[in-house]
Amino acid sequence: MNTELTLEWVLIGINGVAIISIVQIGKICLFKVISFFKMYQTVALAIAFSPRMEALISETKRLVQLFGSELILIHIGKKTDELETKLDEIILKTGLDKLKTKLIWKEGKPVKMIIQACKEEKADLLVAGALKREGFLTYYMGSVGRKIIRKAPCSVLTLIEPNVESTVFEKIVLNGTQLEITPHVIEVGINFSKQIKADQVHILNEIKMYGLQMGTASEDSEEEASQTRRQLVQNEVEYVERILNKIDQGELKINIKVTGGRWAVELARFCEKIDADLLVVGDDHKLNFFDRIFPHDLEDLLSTLPCNLLIVKI
Amino acid sequence: METLDHKEVINLLLQLASILILARVFAELARKFKQPAVVGEIFAGIILGPTILGNFFPGAQEYLFGAHEMTNIAFDGFVQISVVLLLFIAGLEVELHIVWSQGKKALYIAVASMILPIIAGFVVAYAFPEFLGVNINDRVVASTFFGLAISITGLAIVARILMDLNLFKTSSGLLIIAGAMIVDVLGWLIFSVILSLSESGSDGLGVWPTIGLTLLFTLVMLTIGKGLINRVLPWINKKLAWPGGLLSLSLALCFLAASFTEFIGIHAIFGAFIIGVALGDSEYLTEKAKEILHQFINNIFAPIFFVSIGLKVNFITGFDPGIVGVVIVVGLLTKYYGAYFGGRLAGVSRKESIVAGFGMSTRGSMDIVLGLIALENGLVTEPLFIGLVILAIIASMSAGPLIGWARNLKV
Repeated sequence: MNTELTLEWVLIGINGVAIISIVQIGKICLFKVISFFKMYQTVALAIAFSPRMEALISETKRLVQLFGSELILIHIGKKTDELETKLDEIILKTGLDKLKTKLIWKEGKPVKMIIQACKEEKADLLVAGALKREGFLTYYMGSVGRKIIRKAPCSVLTLIEPNVESTVFEKIVLNGTQLEITPHVIEVGINFSKQIKADQVHILNEIKMYGLQMGTASEDSEEEASQTRRQLVQNEVEYVERILNKIDQGELKINIKVTGGRWAVELARFCEKIDADLLVVGDDHKLNFFDRIFPHDLEDLLSTLPCNLLIVKI
Repeated sequence: METLDHKEVINLLLQLASILILARVFAELARKFKQPAVVGEIFAGIILGPTILGNFFPGAQEYLFGAHEMTNIAFDGFVQISVVLLLFIAGLEVELHIVWSQGKKALYIAVASMILPIIAGFVVAYAFPEFLGVNINDRVVASTFFGLAISITGLAIVARILMDLNLFKTSSGLLIIAGAMIVDVLGWLIFSVILSLSESGSDGLGVWPTIGLTLLFTLVMLTIGKGLINRVLPWINKKLAWPGGLLSLSLALCFLAASFTEFIGIHAIFGAFIIGVALGDSEYLTEKAKEILHQFINNIFAPIFFVSIGLKVNFITGFDPGIVGVVIVVGLLTKYYGAYFGGRLAGVSRKESIVAGFGMSTRGSMDIVLGLIALENGLVTEPLFIGLVILAIIASMSAGPLIGWARNLKV
């Protein structure tokens, strides 16, 4: 099934020419299409009047236009005439529709206030900029950024190198590792990829505890151990395929890749290897104190961002 | 430096060859009956040891395992290294990110599945020390040791069972795996503390310094140690021969950590275990490297250790049906119900809690190591150790069918 076919059914249904069952399918599809185009109803962007602010606004503007969303600009700090004028100038320069853009000025602790604003405005997506390591071409999420990601009530898109000209997301990598949130991550990732017309989507899937499983399989004959190895890979591919079968993939070229390492590390390596533009991962639990002492998975990714990162939350 | 003479070298080589051959034969037999290799290896030891070979062919047994004192010392060195490596691989199997991902549920199951056996084991052993065969002079420590020995879960064994039942990656499977990992870490922490309490096991550091050092060592290894490993491993992987460089240096690191913990008064195996956890949790230790380490240790050193048990103990003269019965009943029931109630307390469904109960009851690795240390330190007698070994065999043989049965329950 592809998007065009779905749209065709919708039109037949609306014209009332086709039989009832097709009309019903059309209605369902119409609903799906509407919700598809409104993937993110409200997009929030936290601004700090940094040199990269204009680029961040430009990037977000493109996304807002693609998703047909409303934009909320949040600034934590004192509202002054000077800042207001500066922001107006940037809005004008970037061509933002001021009527569709809401400005929120709040004073207080940045993390708390940004989260509060996201909740009040029912934001579906929060866009943030990453930090760049001095002298290196590597990016990371600072402590404020991490706290926001941890506490955000919505998905968070972190842009490592925002451009005024807008970044093109051609190569997108999704985390397909078997986690509770993965079906949702793949669905969001595919819809996102279709929306931004990505060239290639890679779904990377980790075989959990491959070493332990193959180590215990060493009690078997060579043939049985090889069979176990094949089966482990096959199980992962089937897992992703089962999820994909329920999703309209449009014209996307999707590549499933299975790996034996830990997903966060393998995803970062893979993104660097193929020079990915966007990595989509899920976050289904709030990080706590122990996550900082024994960093893992998501924390690993945040400490060295391999590319732009979309963290999907339910 | 004193060396083995011609005859002693031949004797040592024959010992190792006979152990590896018989262990392989019985591991294969166990495999035919869908049983863990460790069951076969323990049986191989019983056959090679005083129980069977010593009973029916005492001359042959004496020639192989009793003729040369120096050979036996050298062989004991092999066994010691085997135990250290076994603990190292047990540490490698612990993946902290799996533990974190399973969170509260795994923690409840693991802790409850330990508390109940430890308390029950302690009470039974403390109340009937002479009947069970725990050291009456070191009654508290010996009783706690017994409780701890029946509270351990065999992680590698349960992993294999879950793979065979196609349950490894299910929520129940991961819960059991994470639970078993927590049990391993807690078990060895408690073990090193208890050993320091024992008059026979401590080198006089005292309880609190040992507890402090144990916790400090664990924390340092899992934070600073892991950080260092993360810096060194990429260099090793890139610059040195692979997997040769990684294998030799990771084993060297294991022996260093083991000798350090032995030096500061904690048992050597604790150091090997913790360094295994730190190394295994590093993202730079590839799964392929883990697989190689697993194969190398599980197929060469693990058999040497498990066969050596049968060489040390006579399973006929030391067999006491009363003790074995008590150990089995207390061990199986408390471990099962501990895990089951832990699961229910954490909000796990009844069926999944039953599966977790049977899964966590699997034994057959670290519990035997613990029992052997208790035996060697004079904390328990031979009949009680035999009871622990038989409990391990029964638990690991029955876990598969019981989990299979439980997953089809309509509850």
